[in-house]
Amino acid sequence: MTQTISKTPPSKTPAPVTDERVAKRNPLQKLLGRPEVGALVGAIVLFVFFASVSQTFIQPNAFATVLYGSSTIGIMAVGVSLLMIGGEFDLSTGVAVISSALTASMFSWYFATNVWIGVILALMVSLAIGFINGWILMKTKLPSFIVTLASFLMLTGLNLGLTRLIGGSVSSPSISAMDGFGSARAVFASSVTIGGVDVKITVFIWFALVAVASWVLLRTKVGNWIFAVGGDANAARAVGVPVKATKIGLFMAVGFCGWILGMHNLFAFDTVQSGEGIGNEFLYIIAAVIGGCLLTGGYGSAVGGAIGAFIFGMANKGIVYAQWNPDWFKFFLGLMLLLATIVNLIVKRRAELK
Amino acid sequence: MNAKEIDQQTLLQNEKDPLTHTPVHLLSLEGVGKHYGNIIALSDVTMAVDNGRVTCVLGDNGAGKSTLIKIIAGLHQHDAGVLNIMGEERKFTSPRDALDAGIATVYQDLAVVPLMPIWRNFFLGSELTSGFGPFKSLDVEKMKAITLKELAEMGIDLRDVEQPIGQLSGGERQCVAIARAVYFGAKVLILDEPTAALGVKQSGVVLRYILQARDRGLGVIFITHNPHHAFPVGDRFLLLKRGKSIGYYDKKDITLDELTAQMAGGAELAELAHELEQLGGHSDVVKEVQAEVAGVADVADAVQAGAPRHA
Amino acid sequence: MTKFSWRKAALVASVVPMLALSACSSTGGKAPDAAGGAAGGQVVSTPKLKIALITHAAPGDTFWDIVRKGAEEASAKDNVELLYTSDPEGGRQAQLIEQAIDQKVDGIAVTLAKPDALKDALKKATDAGIPVVSLNAGESVSAQLGAFTHFGSNEKLAGTAVGDKLRSEGLSHPICVIQEQGHVGLEARCAGVKEKLPATEILYVAGTDMTQVSSTVTAKLQATADADSIVGLGAPFTLTILKAVNAAGSKAKVASFDMNAELAQKIADGEILFTVDQQPWLQGYGAIDAIWQNKRGGFEIGGGQPVLTGPSIVDKAAAADALKFAKEGIR
Repeated sequence: MTQTISKTPPSKTPAPVTDERVAKRNPLQKLLGRPEVGALVGAIVLFVFFASVSQTFIQPNAFATVLYGSSTIGIMAVGVSLLMIGGEFDLSTGVAVISSALTASMFSWYFATNVWIGVILALMVSLAIGFINGWILMKTKLPSFIVTLASFLMLTGLNLGLTRLIGGSVSSPSISAMDGFGSARAVFASSVTIGGVDVKITVFIWFALVAVASWVLLRTKVGNWIFAVGGDANAARAVGVPVKATKIGLFMAVGFCGWILGMHNLFAFDTVQSGEGIGNEFLYIIAAVIGGCLLTGGYGSAVGGAIGAFIFGMANKGIVYAQWNPDWFKFFLGLMLLLATIVNLIVKRRAELK
Repeated sequence: MNAKEIDQQTLLQNEKDPLTHTPVHLLSLEGVGKHYGNIIALSDVTMAVDNGRVTCVLGDNGAGKSTLIKIIAGLHQHDAGVLNIMGEERKFTSPRDALDAGIATVYQDLAVVPLMPIWRNFFLGSELTSGFGPFKSLDVEKMKAITLKELAEMGIDLRDVEQPIGQLSGGERQCVAIARAVYFGAKVLILDEPTAALGVKQSGVVLRYILQARDRGLGVIFITHNPHHAFPVGDRFLLLKRGKSIGYYDKKDITLDELTAQMAGGAELAELAHELEQLGGHSDVVKEVQAEVAGVADVADAVQAGAPRHA
Repeated sequence: MTKFSWRKAALVASVVPMLALSACSSTGGKAPDAAGGAAGGQVVSTPKLKIALITHAAPGDTFWDIVRKGAEEASAKDNVELLYTSDPEGGRQAQLIEQAIDQKVDGIAVTLAKPDALKDALKKATDAGIPVVSLNAGESVSAQLGAFTHFGSNEKLAGTAVGDKLRSEGLSHPICVIQEQGHVGLEARCAGVKEKLPATEILYVAGTDMTQVSSTVTAKLQATADADSIVGLGAPFTLTILKAVNAAGSKAKVASFDMNAELAQKIADGEILFTVDQQPWLQGYGAIDAIWQNKRGGFEIGGGQPVLTGPSIVDKAAAADALKFAKEGIR
C-alpha cells in the first residue's frame, strides 16, 4: 500500500517540531522553577532581619532553640506536604498527634506494661487513623476537607472522653517512673551536644524525615505516583497508577509523622493534656503552603515544607528574642502566608512561561 | 464515483485480509453489539485492524464511537457478536486486560499530568528502577534518555524533557501520549478524537504522528468526526450512525467527497437550510448552505445508487 | 503499596495483649486496686434539688475537674442532682443557662467570664425566681447580674501574693508566662505580679502545644539572661516550664499558679518554689452548698461580698499535705 503513503504528502515532511517559543532555560531559571524558592527567599530575609535586630538570635544556643521550635512543626509538615502534593489535606493531624501520645501513655499506664508496648500500639493506632481517613475518602469520594474535619472532631472527642474514662482526669497520668521510659525518652526526646550546644533529637529526626521524603518523592516510583495522583488522579488511574493505595499510603505517612511527634510530646513532658493539639493542624498546612506546596495538589516539595516550618520557628522565636509585643504574631504569620503564596505563584508562572 | 464497500463475506470468511494478505487480523469485530438497559448503543458492527494500517471510525456525536472504543479498550463488554484478537476470541473485563493484550488507548484528555515533567509522564505507571528491595530508586538518566529518543523517533525534538508537559502544545502532548503507547509495546493504538480540540496546524502535526505510529507497524484505530482528518491517513473507514454501521470502505474504493456526503447525510443539511431560511437567516449564509445541500445530494445519490447502504 | 491484611491485623490484635502481659512495668502505672475514696458523709434529709453548674471551661482543662469534684461532693451531701455543662464561648454559655431554666432547676451556679453575654439569660433566671450563685470569674459584676454571692479568688490579688512571695525570696526579675493570649484572668495575674515587681516581663506561649511552650520559654531564657525567676500560670504549663529551665541550664527559680499532684510533688522536692492555689474545689463546693443553704433557710452567705477561696500559698512546708489531697484530685 505504498500508494497510500505517497498520496498523503503533508505527512511525510520530516520537519522536527521545535517550537521557537520553548527557549532553553538557564540554570537560574531552573532554580526559580523549584517549588520551595519563594519560601527560601522568605527564610533568608527573615533570618537576616532577626539577626540584625537581636544579638541573641544568631548565638548557637538560640539557633538550636529555633530549630527545635521548627522541628516540632516540621516533622508533621513533612507528612502534610507529601499529602498535599498528593492532592489531599488532613485537618485531623493536630489532635491525631495527641491521640497517639495518649494511646501510648494510657495503655501502658492502665495495664502497667513496659512503655514500649504502648509506643508500638500508638504507632499502630496512628497508622490506623491514617488508613481509615484515606479509606473513607477513597470509598465515599467526599472531599478530604469533610472527611478529615469529621475525624478531627471525633478524635478530639475520643481524646477527652477516653482519657477521663480510663484515667479519671483530663490529662494522662505521669508515666515517668515506668519501665522503658528512659530508653523511649532517649529515642524520642533526648538532646545531642554538638560543640557545646544542646540540640534536641527532634531536629535530627526532622532532617532525616525530610531527606527520606525528598528521596521518595523525587527518586522512587511512589514519588512519581504521589505527584501524579495529586496532579490528575484520573490520568494517573488510566496509566495504571494505584491511586487508592497511594492516597491511603499518604494518609498513613501523615499518621507516622504524627506518631513521632506524639511520642516526643509524651516523653518530653511525661504527661499529655487531652485537650491539646487543636489548631496545630493549620500550622502544618501553613508550613506546607509557605513551602510552595500547591493546595490543589501535584506540585511541591518536602524541603519546601521544612523551610515553611523553619520560617514559622524563626518568626515565633524571633519575636521573643527581639523582645517584641507578641500581639502581632498571628497577623505577621498571616501576612507571611499570603506573601509566600503570592511569591510562589508569581515565580511559578514566570518559570513556566519562559 | 462509486464507492464499493468491503465485502463482508471476504472479510469474515476468508482468513486472509484483502489489504495486507496476512493470515489473520490483529483485531477484528464481527457483528458486535451493546445495549445499556433497553437502549441499544451499538449493533452489528464489523471491522478489522491490521499491522501498519489505520482504521478510521467516523460518526457524529452519539453515533456509538465511544461505545465502540470502550468495548475494545476493556471499559465495557459487548453483549453480541465476537471480538477477535489475533484470531482468538476475547472479552475484556478491565482496561488492564486490554493493555495486556497490547491495546493502548490515548483518550481525549490524554491521561497526562500537566504539572509533571515530560519524562515522568512518559514513564508514569511503568517507571524504570534500579537497586534492591526498599532502596529501589528511579533510573532517572535512563528514563530521560529513552523519552528523548522515543520522542525524536516520532519526530518531536524536545531539548528539555524536564519541562512540565502542560507547557507543550496540544499536538505535542498527543504525540507524547502516542509515543508512550508505542514504547510500551502497544500493537493496537486507539486514538479517541485526537484532533477534536486542536487548530488546523496542530491537527496536521497529530496526523503526522498517526502515520509515524502506523509506519512503526502498529494497527491504529482513529476515532474522529472529521472526514478531512480521516481521509488522508486512513486505510479503511467505518462509518457509524445511531449505533449502526452505515458503511465500511477500503480507501481505494471511496473518495473524500463521498465520505463527507455519507457522514453529513444530505437530507439533514437540506432541513437545516430550510430552518435557517424560516428564521430569516442572512441570505448569503442560506445560499451557501443551499449550495452545499445541492452538492452533497448529488454525491449522496451517486453513492446510494452504487452501493446500497449496509444496515 | 501497603496492602492491608486482615489476617495480619488479627494476629497483631491477639499478640499485643500477650506482649502486654509479659512485659509488665515494675514501677509506675495504674495502682492495681485504686481505692474508690469518694468522700462519704451523711446525706441531708431535705427534698431533692436540681442545680445546674454552668462554666466556661474549655474541654480538657484539669482545673475544672477539681471544681466539678467539689460541686459533686456538695451535691452528694446536700441531696442535689447536679447538671454540669460548660462552653468556653459566651453566647453558647448563655444558651446553656436558658436550657437550665427550661429544665426548671432549683438553682444555678455560673462562672461569669463573659458577663455581657450572660446578662440577659441570668435576668431570665432571676425573674423566674431561680437563685443564682457565681463562681470563679466575675466577682465585680456578680451582684449586678443578680447572683446573691460569689465564690472565687481575685486573680489580681493572687498575682500580688506571688509578687510578694517572690520578693521575700529575694527575687526581683520574673518572667510571667501566659498560655493564652487575650485571656483577662491570666493577664490580671501577671499584672498583679508586675505591680509588686516592676521588672516583671510577660511571655506569651501557645498553650495548645507543649513543645511550643517549651521551646518559646527556652528562647526567652536565652534572650533575657538576667531573669531570676519564671512563673507559670497553670500546673501543666509550670511543669513544662520547669523542664525547659532545667534543659537550658538556667538558674531561674520556678513558681506557679494553681495545683496538681505532680506540681505538689515538685514543690515538696524543692524543684519549684511555691504555687498560689485558688482552691477550686472550694469554689465548686461552696457554690452548690450556698444554693442549698439558700433553699434550706433563705440564707445568703458572704454578706453581699464575694467569698474568697484564695489565694493560698503552698510552699515546701505545706506541700506534703497538699500532695496528699492533690492525688485525690481535690487540690
